[in-house]
Order: sequence, then structure tokens, then C-alpha cells
Amino acid sequence: MKTAQSDNTETNKGTKKRFASMRKSFVPYVKTFLTVVLITLLGEILTPYFDLINIAILYLLPVLISAVRWGRGPSFFAAGLGVLVFDFFFVPPVLSLTVHDVRHVFIFGMFLLVAIVTGTMATKLRNELDKTKEREQRTLALYALSQKIAAESDLKRVLKTFVERVAGTIRGDVIMLVHNPDAEMLLEVAAYPSHNTLSDDKERAVAHWVLEHGQRAGRGTETLSAAQSLFFPVKAEDKTLAVLAIKTEPDGKALASEQLQLIEAFSNLAAVAIIRVNLAQEAEQAKWLAESQKLHTALLNSISHDLRTPLAAITGAVTSLLSKETAYDAGTEKALLDAINEGAQRLNRFVGNLLDMVRLESGILKLNTQWCDIEDIVGVALREMKDILQPHSLQVKIPSGLPLVKADFALIEHVVINLIENAVKYSPEEGMISISARTVNDTVYVTVADGGPTIPRYERERVFDKFYRLHSTKHTSGTGLGLSICKGIIEAHGGKIWVDSPHEPGNRFVFSLPVPEQPGPLPDTKEEVFHAL
Amino acid sequence: MPSEGTRILVIDDEKQIRRMLKTALTGYGYDIAEAPSGQEGLNQTAIFHPDLIILDLGLPDLDGIEVIKRLREWAQTPIIVLSVREDEEDKIRALDAGADDYVTKPFSMGELLARLRVALRHMAKSEDEPVLVFGKLTVDMARRLVFLDGEEVKLTPTEYEILKYLALQAGRVVTHGQLLRAIWGPNYQEQTHYLRVYVGQLRRKIEADPSQPAIIVTESGVGYRLVDRA
Repeated sequence: MKTAQSDNTETNKGTKKRFASMRKSFVPYVKTFLTVVLITLLGEILTPYFDLINIAILYLLPVLISAVRWGRGPSFFAAGLGVLVFDFFFVPPVLSLTVHDVRHVFIFGMFLLVAIVTGTMATKLRNELDKTKEREQRTLALYALSQKIAAESDLKRVLKTFVERVAGTIRGDVIMLVHNPDAEMLLEVAAYPSHNTLSDDKERAVAHWVLEHGQRAGRGTETLSAAQSLFFPVKAEDKTLAVLAIKTEPDGKALASEQLQLIEAFSNLAAVAIIRVNLAQEAEQAKWLAESQKLHTALLNSISHDLRTPLAAITGAVTSLLSKETAYDAGTEKALLDAINEGAQRLNRFVGNLLDMVRLESGILKLNTQWCDIEDIVGVALREMKDILQPHSLQVKIPSGLPLVKADFALIEHVVINLIENAVKYSPEEGMISISARTVNDTVYVTVADGGPTIPRYERERVFDKFYRLHSTKHTSGTGLGLSICKGIIEAHGGKIWVDSPHEPGNRFVFSLPVPEQPGPLPDTKEEVFHAL
Repeated sequence: MPSEGTRILVIDDEKQIRRMLKTALTGYGYDIAEAPSGQEGLNQTAIFHPDLIILDLGLPDLDGIEVIKRLREWAQTPIIVLSVREDEEDKIRALDAGADDYVTKPFSMGELLARLRVALRHMAKSEDEPVLVFGKLTVDMARRLVFLDGEEVKLTPTEYEILKYLALQAGRVVTHGQLLRAIWGPNYQEQTHYLRVYVGQLRRKIEADPSQPAIIVTESGVGYRLVDRA
């Protein structure tokens, strides 16, 4: 029942449409007729003053007008009607189609000839004009699309614009299927209307055929014409990059060749866009690869250097002690043993930094946050670094009553240790290293200052980059890992770290940590409660 | 030598570490037995009757914590755990399971020997002494008084309780949880900020330089230790 009904409405629609188009083609004739009537009335008024031949010329006017405005048919109609009306109303005997004077037949002949020639020429002119207009519009549309494509870097958005344009041109539904070479698949990337998809696997099979052969197929072509849509290859050179599926009204006319041309022009632009985006992606990937390659090289260099240097010191000292050739005095022996100990400690710190870096990089760093006392953290770090701080003078200024912070004690301790190690490394022998802390508003600032050569302003940001080493200090051993780890840890705590230099020479490394609302008041101990009882 | 004849069992799967410990500790007069796995360690404990056990937490067969738990079912032998830096939680779990102390790898022999001595002494100690002396610091538990260089130090009751608890465990690590449970009770064992505040206050009263404490040191992420100079 339902199908019949819908068929019925379909037919109705068709009839209506045909009727509409018929009415459309009628209008020029009616208008031409009215013009002729108007000219006749004018002729009647002018008869007393005009010769017959002048009146005849008046009838060329509707021919010219209809030729320019509506084309050849209406203009011929105007010519024929003009002759008849002229004969009937003006040529004696008036109000009859009979002609007495043979000269008047000559006038008719001449009139018709002039009318036909003028009409034909005017029509041609009009067609030319139409074509030029259409071409201009096409160029404009192409230009607009190319502008949009150039402005978009996101392929999806480019193709969305593209399908909208195509849909606008053909007044139908459009689906864009882009070939993914990695998965050997056609992906429906864009469609107009946007939720549109291919109706079934048969349609998809036609799309694949087009992808493979790079030729049009489907409805209105000679290949696989049973398909509902017309499938259009989007090609660049010999490669089909995508397939365009176009669905028009089932009983509508096939697409005009100008429309097909326009679609092809659009497709070429789409192909350019696809290639451009693909190239950009490849370039991005290549850059990323190069970057990670660089990082790996830097990591390997740094690891081998930082593992081997203390190992070399240890091996050298141990083999000296083991060799039986020389007997060292007690002082030398102690110095060698100290070197071994120092090397081992340095190795340990380096391994710790490597582990921290891996944990930071892989995102498995879990903050074990607790209430921490900055003074306590600094104290533990100083105890840890006691040996290497020995030759330097140390100044610690931490005010009592500093608020507690919520932090991972061990990680902040690593930050302080790294900053101290850094200060020791770049400070002159017996130089002053000072550690201080202060609170401003809701932030606590911890500063580790050294008397080493000032880091140039332009390098201050970069010292926190992974494996970054100052140009001036390339010879000093170190990985360029320590500061980048500090940065990672501090940022994970919601703080900031930077370096400046209020006094030259010297550097001041500062990190900040947010101070949360302090914990509630402390309860009495069991003991105090007991005493109160 | 006081360590003469003291028996120590080393449970570690790394042969290099076992060899190093055996060489060094034998040199100090200890009597050493080795076990390369947790199971073997448990068996050896029953046969060798060690006075102290050095246990590596990373064993191939049994989890180190599991070894501690099984040992504690029937033996009170002091256990010193070998751990790595990153495992604060493991250290705490080991201490809560009944380990006496830990050293972090890589450790110095001096540090390990100090831990050994403290653990052995606590085991041997029979009666509580009323007055404890740590260098300049004296804690008189009978009179609840604390002296620094012979001068009385005024402590609040809470500060005193913390100092007393640490002093009784002198040389050994005390976890945050143990301290909080002992001073405030089991409901407060997560409230580490109490300790940060009170230990800070305490240090200001008894330490020469509170920013570089020499008496009550912090074991990062684990707890506190009162340094035993004896």
C-alpha cells in the first residue's frame, strides 16, 4: 500500500515538474504575443503619420527583444505573428489577410528575412553571453574553493568544503571516500548532507572499482550503470587518491557535461589538497623521527660518557691499589680509595637520574604527596651531598615557621640534590654555595645560588632542556639530564623552575612550589589527654 | 672483638653481593651463612640459628616481605633489609612486617655495620635504663627531663614523647606510622604533618643547626632516626 502511495506521489511530483517546465517555456511566447499587441496598438495610433513600410519596421522590435531575451523560438514566433498581424491590421484591405498589391508581399518577404537574421544573431549573442557568465561563475567557484583549500590544513575540513561545493553545483548528495594506503581501505571522510553514507556493499564495490581503474563508473556511465550513484575518481597524476560518489534524483536527468567538467575541476583541487596534507604529515613524521634519533644519539653519548667517566676513575684507582709494583703511602692510598668512593657515588646519582627521567618520560611517575617541611628536605639533601660539598663553603638560610607544602619528599629531595650537584660542578673550588627559602603570598621559593660563570641570558631557558649543555661548559662532565629532571618534577608539582643572575659572576636557580591551605590544628597526644584527666 | 662468633645469615640472590658481604663481615669477626633464595633462607634460619638476618627484598622466588612475615611467625631474629632508593613503600612495608631496619643499595659498610650493631644490641638489651645519653643529649626518663650540654631543655609533653620514643629506638629507623601510632594512637597514623611540625620544633630546641640536623635525621619517605653515637 505504502509503496503504491509513494509511487503515486512520485508520479504527481513528476507531472507537476513537467507542467512547471512547460509553463516556464510558455511564458516567453505569451510575453512576445503581448509585445506584438502593444506594437499593433502603437501602429494604429501612428498610421495617420507613418508610411506602411515604417509600421512594418516597428514589428522588428518584438523580434529583436524576444531574440535577445528568450532565444530563437520566441523570436521566430514574433516574426511570424508580426507578419500576420501587420497584414491583417495595416495592409489594405484592412482586417483581412488577403493582399492586393504584390509589392506588399515583397515587404513581407524582406521583413521575414530581416527578422530571422536578426533573431538568429541576437540569439547567438545571448548564448555567448550566457556561456561567458557560466564560465565566470565556474572560475569564481573554483577560485573560492582553492582559496578555502589553501587556508585549511585539516584534510577533513578541506574535503567538507569540497563536498559542499560539489553538492551545490549538482544539487544532489555527495560522499567523499578517501583511500588509506596503509589499510587498503576507502574511508568515508566527508559527505553532504553530513550524515550521508553509501547505501550498501554493492555501492562500495563500485567505489573500489573506480579506485582501482581510475575511471568513472555507476549511474549514467557505461560501467556498472546499475549503481545508484555516479562514482568519480579524484586523481593526481596516475594515482587515484579518492572516489567521489554523487547521488542525484532517481528519475532526474544525467549530469550535463559542463557540470561534469566542473566536478572534475573541483576534484583536481581536492587531489591537490589531499596530496598537500599527506606531504605535510610525512614531513611532520620525518621531523619527529629525526628529533627522536637526535635524542637517542644524545642519550647514548651522555650515558656512555657519564657511566664511563666514574668507571674509569674507579678502575684506575682499584688497579693501582691491586698492582704489586708500588707500595703507596697511607695518604695516597686514602686518596685512591676516596676517588673510588666518589666515582661510585656519582654513578649511583646518575643511575637515579636516569630512572627519574624514564619515569618522567613514560608518565609512570607517581607522586607520593605528603605534607613536607622544606627545611627537612634541604637537610636530607645536604646530608646526602656532604662529601662533594666538602671543598665549598656553604650558607643555608631557611627561616623558621616556613609553611608546609604538599609534595613528594623524595622527588623534591632529588631536585635539591641535582641543583646542589650542579652548583658544585660549575662553582670555582672553595666557592660559596648558598641555599635559601622564603614564602611570598601562597608560594614558597627555594634558591640554590653558586658563584660559577654566569649563564648567558639566551641560554637560561634552554639549560632545562634535555641533554642541553652550555657551549662554554662542554668539557665539564655531566649529562644535561639533571636540570631537565628538576623541571619535570617541579612542574609535576605545579611549580616553576628558572635561573637568573642578580650578581655576576654567579647563578641563582630558583624553584617555586604552591603552598596549600595548612592542615588543621594538632590534637593532643594520648599522654596530654591523660594528664588533663 | 664484640662481634666474635655472632652468626649472620645473608639472603640475597646476587652472588657478588653475598661474596662481598661475606668477605667484609668475616673480616669483622662475624660468622656468615649464605642463602640465594627466600625458601633457602627460611630453611637456613631453622638450621643455622642466626643472630641476625640480612635480607634482600628482591628475591627470585619469594617476595622479601613474605619472607619477613613467615620468619616472624616463629622467630624474633633481627632482620636488616637491603633495598633500593626508589622503593620507599617497600621499605615501610618491610618495617611494618617486622624488619628491624634497612640500608639502601648502594650502602657503605660503615652504615651496614652500624645498623647491625644497633639491631643486635636491641635484641640483647634486657632491662630499660632510666637515663639515655647520646653525646651532648641526655634523656632522663625517670624524671621526664632532657638535657643538652648539661642544661635542661624545656619540651612540651608531645615533643618529649616523640624524643623518648626515638631515643628508646636509638639508631633504628622509626616509620611515620609507628611514631604516629605510638604518640597519637592508631587513628592518626596517616597524619604525617603532625610529625613535620613537632619534629621541626624539637630540632629547633636540641639541634645546633636545625637545617642540618645531626641528632634526629630524616629517612626520606620512611621516617626518622635518632643518631646513636655510642
